Amino acid sequence: MLKIDHLSKRYDDTLAINDLDFEVKPGVVTGFLGPNGSGKSTTMRIIMGLDRATSGSATINGQRYQDLRTPLREVGALLDAKAVNPKRSARNHLRALAASNNIPFRRVDEVLEFVGIASVADKKIGGFSLGMSQRLGIAGALLGDPQILLFDEPVNGLDPEGIRWIRDFFRSLAKEGRTVFVSSHLMSEMAVSADEIIVIGRGHFITSGSVDELTKSATGSVLVRSADTPALVRALNDASALETLNDGAIAVSGLSAEAIGEIALAQGIALHELTPQRASLEEVFMELTSDAVEYGQHRGVEQ
Amino acid sequence: MNPTVWSVIKSEWIKFRTVRSTLIGFLALVVLTLGIGGLVALAIKSHINDHGGEGRAAFDPTSDSLVGLFFAQFAVGSIGALMMTSEYATASIRTTLSAVPKRVRVIVAKCVVLFASFLVVGEATVLVAFTIGQAIFKGAGLSTTLGAPGVLRSVLLAGLYLALLGLFGFSLGLIVRTTAASIIIYAAVMLIIPIITNFLPSAWQNVLNQFLPSNLGQSMMSPLGTAHSFSAWVATVILTAYVAALVALGTVLFVRRDA
Repeated sequence: MLKIDHLSKRYDDTLAINDLDFEVKPGVVTGFLGPNGSGKSTTMRIIMGLDRATSGSATINGQRYQDLRTPLREVGALLDAKAVNPKRSARNHLRALAASNNIPFRRVDEVLEFVGIASVADKKIGGFSLGMSQRLGIAGALLGDPQILLFDEPVNGLDPEGIRWIRDFFRSLAKEGRTVFVSSHLMSEMAVSADEIIVIGRGHFITSGSVDELTKSATGSVLVRSADTPALVRALNDASALETLNDGAIAVSGLSAEAIGEIALAQGIALHELTPQRASLEEVFMELTSDAVEYGQHRGVEQ
Repeated sequence: MNPTVWSVIKSEWIKFRTVRSTLIGFLALVVLTLGIGGLVALAIKSHINDHGGEGRAAFDPTSDSLVGLFFAQFAVGSIGALMMTSEYATASIRTTLSAVPKRVRVIVAKCVVLFASFLVVGEATVLVAFTIGQAIFKGAGLSTTLGAPGVLRSVLLAGLYLALLGLFGFSLGLIVRTTAASIIIYAAVMLIIPIITNFLPSAWQNVLNQFLPSNLGQSMMSPLGTAHSFSAWVATVILTAYVAALVALGTVLFVRRDA
């Protein structure tokens, strides 16, 4: 169990994280979502004991990371795939990690095999592509067979095949009952790879829930087309907000498709189309974080 | 020893021996100590009787066979600094601290690996340099042996001097975190400050110079002692105190700073 308890981090005069408070459950993939600069990586670094919290804490099964005896056996993390000495070979890099936590060297060969880079194990890491570096980072995270795994922007720089591989991999880790915590600034990625999502913006907690809950909570509109648009507009006007679209259709917000259909029936208006427009997760995300984007574009710039 | 500290030492040893810069640094140490040491010994031997033999008064077969160390000490300082600065340059410090979040352990392990390998390689190199030097001086009837008073001590302390300088470079890397800044400070202390103090009145010079690391090293490796300098053992204690203080300061900063 990974617990973030009223965590804040201040750098000089900027508050990078403001009172984050949540838990990451085992058995599911939890997405940690926010625009760039929203504090995701800072949170991850504090969990790993790399940065100090200004207040609050991050604990792993009740212990701070710094107090874990053999941390690699409890938490595996890939924060920055390039945070390795490029002059060392992949195998030696992993052996040094393994030795520090009393993990047998045979495990190094196992994880190299598992992530598919065994054939380049004795090559210098400096020559690796970003995709291969990511795989090496994942191998390092798996070294101690930990129950909790953290990944910071793991799909960045991966090719489509690599992305699919990593999604399946997260699912299988979660299925084994592990805690999988994955950050991303891409809602579309989280929508397909995560079960639960925690959204932050500018260091603040915004919302959390399952992917389904988050999409449902968004106010979708209903697209309606009718033979007698003016009559339909009159009938619906009291109950909802309407927007007439260019092609004669109207977008209705605030009423469900069922309600619209019944109102139309009661008024004897024939409907040609009645389509609920489900808000995409991307839109939900944009809506949620629009106030919280650090370097957001100004809207309504003078022409 | 605490099993966890021991495993961190093993880990740091793997890291230390699996980058080529370590090997190159040690190679430089050996080549400079033996090569320049040998050349200087040959030069001293051929000039010792110039000007009516006035060179003989200052001649000391032990320290004059170890002159190469004053060149090799730059290789030693660089390897020491790189042990820390390469971690910052590559950001691998984050990986290191993820595996070993107890930061003092990381420092202890790095110091043990660095000090032990410099001591072994350093002692072996100075013994060979001493042997080569004596072989050269022997022709002129000037050589000494390890059995002569103070000679064995001087040769052994010469190896220790190198190991302490390795930790000195390491502490600079720990404090300033970049390779360039560490090596500049190291060179300033070893090379430039001694030049500056030369411009001071000689009364000041006589007091200040004996505290400089390079002069402490000279004291450590001369069997008979020289004017205006500490005895070998006092010099060893002072240099060790410098290094210990700097490593301690660096460790405090390292524990406090975000990685």
